[in-house]
Amino acid sequence: MKALRKYLDKIKPNFEKGGKYHWLWSTFEGLETFLFVPNTVTKSGAHIRDAVDMKRIMSTVIIATLPALFFGMWNVGYQHYLSLGETTGFWQNFIFGLQKILPVIIVSYVVGLGIEFYFAQIRGHEINEGYLVTGMLIPLILPPDIPLWIVAVAVAFSVIFGKEVFGGTGMNVVNPALLARAFLFFAYPGDMSGDKVWIADKADSYSGATPLGHALVGDFSHLASFKDMFMGYIPGSVGETSTLMILIGAAILLITGVASWRIMLSVFAGGYLMGLLFNLWGANEYMQIPAYYHLVMGGFAFGAVFMATDPVTSAQTNKGKYIYGLLIGMMAVLIRVFNPAYPEGMMLAILLFNVFAPLIDHYVIEANIKKRLKRVKAIVNS
Amino acid sequence: MQELFNIFIKSIFIDNMVFAYFLGMCSYIAVSKTVKTSVGLGMAVVFVMGITVPVNYLINEYILKPGALSWLGAQFKDVDLSFLSFIIFIAVIASMVQLVEMIVEKFSPALYASLGIFLPLIAVNCAILGGSLFMQERDYQTVWQATSFGLGSGLGWFLAIVGIAAIREKIRYSNVPPALRGLGITFILTGLMGIAFMSFLGIKL
Repeated sequence: MKALRKYLDKIKPNFEKGGKYHWLWSTFEGLETFLFVPNTVTKSGAHIRDAVDMKRIMSTVIIATLPALFFGMWNVGYQHYLSLGETTGFWQNFIFGLQKILPVIIVSYVVGLGIEFYFAQIRGHEINEGYLVTGMLIPLILPPDIPLWIVAVAVAFSVIFGKEVFGGTGMNVVNPALLARAFLFFAYPGDMSGDKVWIADKADSYSGATPLGHALVGDFSHLASFKDMFMGYIPGSVGETSTLMILIGAAILLITGVASWRIMLSVFAGGYLMGLLFNLWGANEYMQIPAYYHLVMGGFAFGAVFMATDPVTSAQTNKGKYIYGLLIGMMAVLIRVFNPAYPEGMMLAILLFNVFAPLIDHYVIEANIKKRLKRVKAIVNS
Repeated sequence: MQELFNIFIKSIFIDNMVFAYFLGMCSYIAVSKTVKTSVGLGMAVVFVMGITVPVNYLINEYILKPGALSWLGAQFKDVDLSFLSFIIFIAVIASMVQLVEMIVEKFSPALYASLGIFLPLIAVNCAILGGSLFMQERDYQTVWQATSFGLGSGLGWFLAIVGIAAIREKIRYSNVPPALRGLGITFILTGLMGIAFMSFLGIKL
């Protein structure tokens, strides 16, 4: 560690102003602050002294995704061997999944960080850590059998058009990971939906439909049991299947205070509420499935815990967070049941309210201003 | 009743004027800098569309459509005036916009000043003429259906412009590359919002 520090200190002057590699300054700075806690402090404005900076927050989110990731790796192997009709041990499943998913993660990080470094270099700002989380979330919401070049295209699109054109981390309007998925969903539907993609290298005779896929075509006899869906023994995107593992991640996020409990709670409440409403209506079989099924099917839990709570793209005010979460939950279930074009509504519901979050905030703030003005007037008049 | 409600919802979300047809982009981009003015313009568009679509529907039904003039007498039943529809629709829209302008100037001079040239310009807002032409093409059965279509399309446009205005207020502090500031980033944003609005695509009502 000490030798590394010494080495960095030795080569640092080359990258500072006047040095011969000054044009590589942001790359050097990014690496240095990634390895060591920076020793510079901000020079003006109000500060909060805290050991937690953006890098530590991002690392917490990555740790929170690990349970879902490891379970996803195991499940990819499990589903693969299940479709072949073989029974295999824990490690064999896990290693098969590892071989499938590790390349996706590597491609996602290399392409995304490459673009991030490039933009930082050209625009002369520091390298932000936002991509560390996005780069982990993208593999988790893709089908296991996704071709690597498609991952690269999606990552490039979402990092450039979802984030860098707005000025990088903290300025984006829609969640870049979801944007990548939505882009793939509309651009390469053959690799993103249907019954073929959810199990890696599956046997042809085996049906690979997800519970949502079954539900979409009205086949409710093949719907997995609640326990299977909660534990995650079902085909699906890598990280989304196991609600249990996602809840462990949610606990990590909530205990460390990284994610907003208001959003998580209200997304689940919104989805449950909409499910109950549909139960009351009961016009077709899809509306009659128990409301809590919606919470464990597909990507609902993953979206609620990791996507909707993104502090940049969600609503910023407390009241706004409740409204934002509630609307996401309701819209996700609404799209599932009503829209025959898409089996899953979570991704689009979150994107939709990412777009409207600033509007929600605007009106929450306006209402607050009005209320306080009224109070002032009442005091002045009395 | 159910039918009217379906047309209304459909024209707000599924066939949204901005995100599904990309109509009315000029004022949508030019006036969306703050939420307040965009709400004003949005209301004006809802009002104008809510009136012009049914009025144009009646004109189309009783004057322009092939055979529409047969109420005058049997000798008119072969008359087809539909080639006049563009100019007549535009005339109706322009006169409605004049009316709105007078109302806004009388009741909200501040809004009138902030909307500036764009208020008279909604006379040539493609979303509004588009609304009347869609109405003609889709063959709505009653004037009520046309009204709910007009109001719904206006509301969809209203939602779009208010949404993007709030985002633009937020990204005013973002470090957007200089070449993209203003129009460029607004176009990109509109595209992203279009992706989000695709969630409604395919819903059958």
